[in-house]
Amino acid sequence: MSMEKSFSFSSYHFSAPPRHSRDKDSEASSSNRGHHQWKSSGGEEDLQPEDHDSILRVSEDVDRFLETSATTPPLLQVPDCIPQLAKILDSMVYRYNTGKRKFGKDEENDELFLAVVDRISKISAILSTFPCDPSAFDKTTFSLEKAMSFLEKHLCTILQDPKSSTASATPTTHYHGDFQSNSKPKPPKKSSSFDSLTQIQDELCSTCVLENLNHQVQNQDHDQDSSNSNQYFPAFPQHKVSLMNKIATAMIAAGYQTEYCVAFASFRRIAFKTALQEFGYASVGMEEIHKMQWEVLEGEIATWNNTVRHCVTVLFNGERKLYNSVFSNQQSIISQNLLSDLARAVIIHFLNYAQGVVLTLLTVEKLFKFLDMYETLRDVVEPAIANGGSYLERCKKELAQEIATTKIRIVESTVAMFRDLENSVKGDSERVPIPNGAVHPLTRYVVNYLEYACEYKETLEQVLRQCLHDDKKIELEQDEETPKKSYLGTRLMTIMDLLNLNLENKSMLYKDSALRWVFLMNNGRYIVQKVKGCKELHQCMGDDWCRKRQSWLKLYHKNYRKDTWSKVLQCLNPDGLQGNISVVSPKDNNKDKVSKQMLKDKFKSFNSTFEDIYKTQSSWVVSDEQLKSELRASIAALVIPAYRSFFGRFKHHLQSSRHVDKYIKYHPEDIEALIEELFDGIAKTLPKRRS
Amino acid sequence: MTPNLEVVIVKATNHTNDPASEKYICEIQGGSWNVTEEIVVGEIQGSEYVTGGEEEEKEERQRWVKNGLGFGLFMSSKLERSVVYSKGAMTPSTQTALNKKKKTKKKMPATTENNHNQGSFLGRISIRRNQVMSMDGTQDTECEEMELFQRHVAERFTELHSSTDEPEAFLSIAWLRKLLDEFLCCEAEFKAVLLMGRDPYQIAKPPLDKLLPELLDRIIKSLDVCNAVSLGIDSLRNIQRLAEIVISSLDHTLIGDGQVRRAKKALSALLSAMLHEDKDGGLTKGTERSRSFGRRGNKDKDRSAAVPFRSLSWTMPKNWSAAKQIHMMSSNLAAPRGNESSGLALPVFIMNTVLVFVLWTLIAALPCQERNGLGSHFQLPKNLSWAQPMSGLQERIAEEWKKKEKKGTVGLLEEMQKMEKIAQGLLDFTESFQFPAEAEKLEEVRTQVEELGDMCRKMDEGLEPLQMQIREVFHRVLRTRTEFLHVLDQAAKLNTPTTS
Repeated sequence: MSMEKSFSFSSYHFSAPPRHSRDKDSEASSSNRGHHQWKSSGGEEDLQPEDHDSILRVSEDVDRFLETSATTPPLLQVPDCIPQLAKILDSMVYRYNTGKRKFGKDEENDELFLAVVDRISKISAILSTFPCDPSAFDKTTFSLEKAMSFLEKHLCTILQDPKSSTASATPTTHYHGDFQSNSKPKPPKKSSSFDSLTQIQDELCSTCVLENLNHQVQNQDHDQDSSNSNQYFPAFPQHKVSLMNKIATAMIAAGYQTEYCVAFASFRRIAFKTALQEFGYASVGMEEIHKMQWEVLEGEIATWNNTVRHCVTVLFNGERKLYNSVFSNQQSIISQNLLSDLARAVIIHFLNYAQGVVLTLLTVEKLFKFLDMYETLRDVVEPAIANGGSYLERCKKELAQEIATTKIRIVESTVAMFRDLENSVKGDSERVPIPNGAVHPLTRYVVNYLEYACEYKETLEQVLRQCLHDDKKIELEQDEETPKKSYLGTRLMTIMDLLNLNLENKSMLYKDSALRWVFLMNNGRYIVQKVKGCKELHQCMGDDWCRKRQSWLKLYHKNYRKDTWSKVLQCLNPDGLQGNISVVSPKDNNKDKVSKQMLKDKFKSFNSTFEDIYKTQSSWVVSDEQLKSELRASIAALVIPAYRSFFGRFKHHLQSSRHVDKYIKYHPEDIEALIEELFDGIAKTLPKRRS
Repeated sequence: MTPNLEVVIVKATNHTNDPASEKYICEIQGGSWNVTEEIVVGEIQGSEYVTGGEEEEKEERQRWVKNGLGFGLFMSSKLERSVVYSKGAMTPSTQTALNKKKKTKKKMPATTENNHNQGSFLGRISIRRNQVMSMDGTQDTECEEMELFQRHVAERFTELHSSTDEPEAFLSIAWLRKLLDEFLCCEAEFKAVLLMGRDPYQIAKPPLDKLLPELLDRIIKSLDVCNAVSLGIDSLRNIQRLAEIVISSLDHTLIGDGQVRRAKKALSALLSAMLHEDKDGGLTKGTERSRSFGRRGNKDKDRSAAVPFRSLSWTMPKNWSAAKQIHMMSSNLAAPRGNESSGLALPVFIMNTVLVFVLWTLIAALPCQERNGLGSHFQLPKNLSWAQPMSGLQERIAEEWKKKEKKGTVGLLEEMQKMEKIAQGLLDFTESFQFPAEAEKLEEVRTQVEELGDMCRKMDEGLEPLQMQIREVFHRVLRTRTEFLHVLDQAAKLNTPTTS
């Protein structure tokens, strides 16, 4: 208060600093320009800040002052419109602060207020460079500071609660796919759950586990709310954005840029973190990730992928738009720095997570999740950083390097996992054969795994190539390879060969050589069918490979027939019968007469051999229906004609015998029917003989 | 994954009479070497690690060719590369012997077998080791190398210790950067000592079979420390911005109530930020914002108006504690005894100690989440010569920490300590300010503001490189872990040979 009493034009005659003394003329002129005399301190109450006219009048005076002071710099006298305007500002701020008036509700008042702020900030700048009147300087800068405090506070209020006055949609927790633009890469449509190999080996017999390898396509919402999803985040209604813009203009013009940026950055970071949390993404330490159970981590990686994709394609763009609108009147470096800081912090955070995941023990089932991460980095993050334009200029190089490093880590792990798979296939040595020659779980696992890997064909190819190239730099002696060779194909071929080797070893566990062939047929068939059924896998393995495998299958089939059915056919060989006739009954003149006893034996041995085979092999498993019917048909083609002819030729010799059914137990049709029951996987007892 | 470490014998030649020919050099240049990053490595006796990018290497190579220095060893990994030029002289006969050995020496049957198809790097390095041995004529290069390693560690930390007398330098940003540099050197040398020319089997057998996994576990723990400290640097930047506000409001010939009010707010925010950073490492707690920015005069919407200036949001997980982390890293750290104390267990122990010490120092100096109990530090084996300078440093830092803990202020970073002092002084000024201020006071303020500006400049210049370096440490130890895992994996395979 005491300082205000001297604010009188007449009493306050400030002498300029010596260096300005030569401008005495302008001092006089400037003092004469003051239209309004300073009022005494008591005049404060008289001033009606609400009186627009007086505000306008004072403002006009100030404008004139500002205009002239710009052209005639040395200011020696402060016109009394200046303290008046400062008082007006004080009063305005007081009203806002006490809630008598609300900022942002009445545009006209706001404009008036901001215009006054602008003038005071200009005056302050002038007064601080030409300190002709310390009190006036003190008063105006104090008013300005109070106004700035208010604006900053208001900025914080807006930033703190973007949706306080307008009800806009609340952020949802589920993923919306890439609703930003259709040109953006889509999240992987692969399911990504794969059991570990050991798990499979543990549950050798429960095949149901294996059926869990179905590829669920991730449920993606591409519904309509995707189009306007941008309003979820950053979630500021237009009028608030424009208010923030106005506050930015006022604060930055008054030299309060740092305050503005600190407040803005702090709140945006919190908002960003909250947005990420709504995706279920939380801050996790590297050590914690390292210790995490895979079942848990698996889900976390899915979340990571979604979050990263959403963040980079949607949130960053929204953020950039917000900054562009808020700082539209400012130098672009301000928003660039803010965005760079934000992006750097967020992306490094994401990358740390990925690096943490790669730290975990590498087992084969993790491959696909790792590739998901790799694809996210490659398809989404990398291009976003590279094409981020000027707004990421400051951190572009560093982030590109970081992403590259993370990718290399994933590549290394991927290759390690492939090697792990190879070793597992190589090393898997069971002592107990799988019952009934069925498809081995290892076969299912590996083939399904490879089929699944083919969904990542291009990525895997890229990853393997990259790794090989990196190795090559060191492998000086390594021969130049043919350029077009598919690395994945080579890898798959190796694994398939290893699998085959392993299966052959496993087949040796069967004591019954016929079962051994069935086992090999089953597994071989399974592999070939799978490969043929999957276009990608087929492409990788090639036609030659398939043909080769099929010829193997034929060989197995042939061997099986030989091992099982040749002894049956031997029983039906009539040569022995006829050749023996003359020997057995040399005295008998009737050369046509067949030795009944021998015939009986033949039939009997056929019956028992066949029954044995039936009993054993009906319990054997051939799960592939086509293979099953092929086998049956082939057996039938082999056995039925032989039996039919044997039966037709010799049955009348025994028809007169007693207990004829003991020898001729089966009609050819019976045999045919029984063959149709082989390989059902159900041990059967022989049906009662047809009468 | 192969550790991508590759060794090539460039040239073994007589020191004076038989300079290395260009041919060998061309072979190297013609190869597909690719330097992606530079690395600083120290010296080893009789040889020299040459560091730097391709340019430096080329220069060094030329120098080397000109002077006909011993022989060279190139190592390259994706991230690092070093070249060893031996200074030791060699007689032509040694050279011939070497050339023969290159082809015939079979130290480890298991790896030489790999040599043909896989080009196992270890197999080849072992050749190098043998050569060095024969060249130097030393019976026990291993012992010597280990001694050298110890000496270098001691030297590095002695140098760091020497600055404890300069209060300006000790625990400053520049000092921390030097500390990290030395750490990276130690780390590189450690790897060279432990991995180069070593049969994987040696690394997998006792006592390393237990010690190495422990080291790898510590490495994982150290990653979190790196991240936490890096976040701490983010919050230092924020403090720097607040200091800049103070400067821009007080750096005037004329200071009025407006400027003082503005400065006061920023100062309170700054001091409170320091206090909070220290207390909870950046976790936001709404109720603790009593001195927060912009709160003044705002009663109805207390929370909404406060700028959560110090919370940078990217915090460590809630329960993570830097002090606990250090405690866990150091709790099972025991010096090797008896026979082990001269074997490979020693470098592992040294590396462990260096790692823990460096991280402990970073945590003490920079804002970091939850540091209660950091003062009760781990024990360094003072009786061992290499640990003495480190131990001296530790005592100094612990002393500082004790003082700090009592005062309850920000971390030990010199710039922060200074900034805090200045800020306190300036806050006193703003609190007793009356317009117009006396000229004497103003002069005082001007000096303080200048000093504050100085600190801001140092932070502006140093924080980013420091953060980058911490990141480098992060990447480096991670890579080391991968390399060790690979070697252990190899060893495991050698132990249980699989058929086919």
